[in-house]
Amino acid sequence: MKDLLATVKSNKKIAENIYMITLVLPEDAGKMHGGQFVNLSTGNGANLLRRPLGVCIVEGDEVSVCYQVKGRGTQYLSTVEAGRKLRVLLPLGNWFDLDGYSDIAVIGGGVGVFPLIATIREYYKSKNFYSYIGFRNEDAVCLWNELNKSKKLTITTDDGSFGEKGNAVSAYLADRNNIRADVIISCGPPVMLKILKQKLKEEGIKTPCFVSLEERMGCGMGACLVCACKSASGENLRVCRDGPVFDINEVQL
Amino acid sequence: MANLQVELCGVKFKNPVIAASGTFGFGREYNLLYDISVLGGISTKGMTLEPRQGNSVPRIAEGASVILNSVGLQNPGVEHFIKEDLPFLRKKGVAVIANVAGKTLEDYGEICARLDGLVDMVELNISCPNVRAGGMALGIKPENILEVTRLSKSNLKKTPLIVKLSPNVESIAVNARAAEEGGADCISLINTLTGMVIDIERRKPLLANNTGGVSGAGIKPIAVRMVYEASHAVKIPVIGMGGITCAEDAVEFLMAGARAVQVGTANFSNGNAMPEIICGLEKWLDRHNISDVNEIVNTLTLN
Repeated sequence: MKDLLATVKSNKKIAENIYMITLVLPEDAGKMHGGQFVNLSTGNGANLLRRPLGVCIVEGDEVSVCYQVKGRGTQYLSTVEAGRKLRVLLPLGNWFDLDGYSDIAVIGGGVGVFPLIATIREYYKSKNFYSYIGFRNEDAVCLWNELNKSKKLTITTDDGSFGEKGNAVSAYLADRNNIRADVIISCGPPVMLKILKQKLKEEGIKTPCFVSLEERMGCGMGACLVCACKSASGENLRVCRDGPVFDINEVQL
Repeated sequence: MANLQVELCGVKFKNPVIAASGTFGFGREYNLLYDISVLGGISTKGMTLEPRQGNSVPRIAEGASVILNSVGLQNPGVEHFIKEDLPFLRKKGVAVIANVAGKTLEDYGEICARLDGLVDMVELNISCPNVRAGGMALGIKPENILEVTRLSKSNLKKTPLIVKLSPNVESIAVNARAAEEGGADCISLINTLTGMVIDIERRKPLLANNTGGVSGAGIKPIAVRMVYEASHAVKIPVIGMGGITCAEDAVEFLMAGARAVQVGTANFSNGNAMPEIICGLEKWLDRHNISDVNEIVNTLTLN
């Protein structure tokens, strides 16, 4: 974990309201895995909180993360130009550890797709990915070429404007007997993860399932206890440090 | 190279920069980023007798140059601290300030008695604005401050007592004097201001707790003014805090009358904020040909 002043290499719109920012790190911060995140300054001094963003693409000393413009902070971040220096804390949190698995079902929704892309990129040469990715509509679809590193890719949209009409969880359930996944990884809106957990239980699916959670954060490293979630037994967990990746059965969604 | 060492109530700090309670846990996480033994001291996460789960999420929000938090004193309890975290902090050689809170007045006496002689200082959190059961009520009125200070002090035979003051009050000078009269060895201020951020789409407060404590760079002028007023109202030493981001901010607080400072929110914007402030402080003193940081304390002259 290092707190660095990174140089912005590019900051581009990749879908409706979604941007990818590529940072050049001044020094090695250690290996970064899919599921881990960075805590990135917006570049505006009035935003004291950094934004926790899932690692998406790592190449040499460059790391790219994607974000949705939601409030004033991300609005400002979207105006940051190449050459600017931004403070970033990284790498943070645990990751999707796929050692020991060979066939992976990937269930993603919206901006939850980015940590999943990092995971696919990390392992696709040695493992088979079957990806079911939901977007709101065709304008939200992005990084198709990265997702397409999967052995099988199903894109769904809420309105059917791209791929299949429907959602990622249903697409996986409909196809699950055609693939032999030995693990499921997922990231997406809280409601999607909740439905996934419910469906796995209803259908008696015993395949191990790991999900990446999102929460508003302070320090990003586990000290401030801001980003709490509950374990199955009701104890507090820190999304930033105990997660963000959890066994779906070990957290309350 | 200027001297940075300061002494408060007989406790030596290798420099006047202390991690503020609640932003730094018990130091373990930041120690992965840098060796925390460079710090003057650490004020721990606010502790209670029993473990607490804290408030619902979201627990954090943002305003212009400020943040709001409503963690609600989530902590593993004082016994866990004594067994698991205190030995680690002792090994690090930083001054350990145990920040404590109670649900009831009696809790303060009991937790102080438990920590007496084990830590370098005890800091009373009587102003945490998030816990409905206690917190605010104790920290607002001078008669309550006097009472909780007196009880806490009577349970501390060996360890000096800091009373951390809330800024959400009528007169900070009156409250500072109440703490001094109650037997406080030192006061620290300011704790967070109470605030609210509204999600206009949902017409609801953004924080699950509705309100939260406002901290960060935006509150610094308020904090400097209050530190000035408080330090001129009492004879006991003052620790200043509120929005300190860089060495120059720390210098302002020292000039206003603080003998040491605490840094909180700045750690979120820059994980290395405190080592950078310590380094910057030394450079500032050298640049101004000042050989001892203590020389700038309380050197403000009003216009």
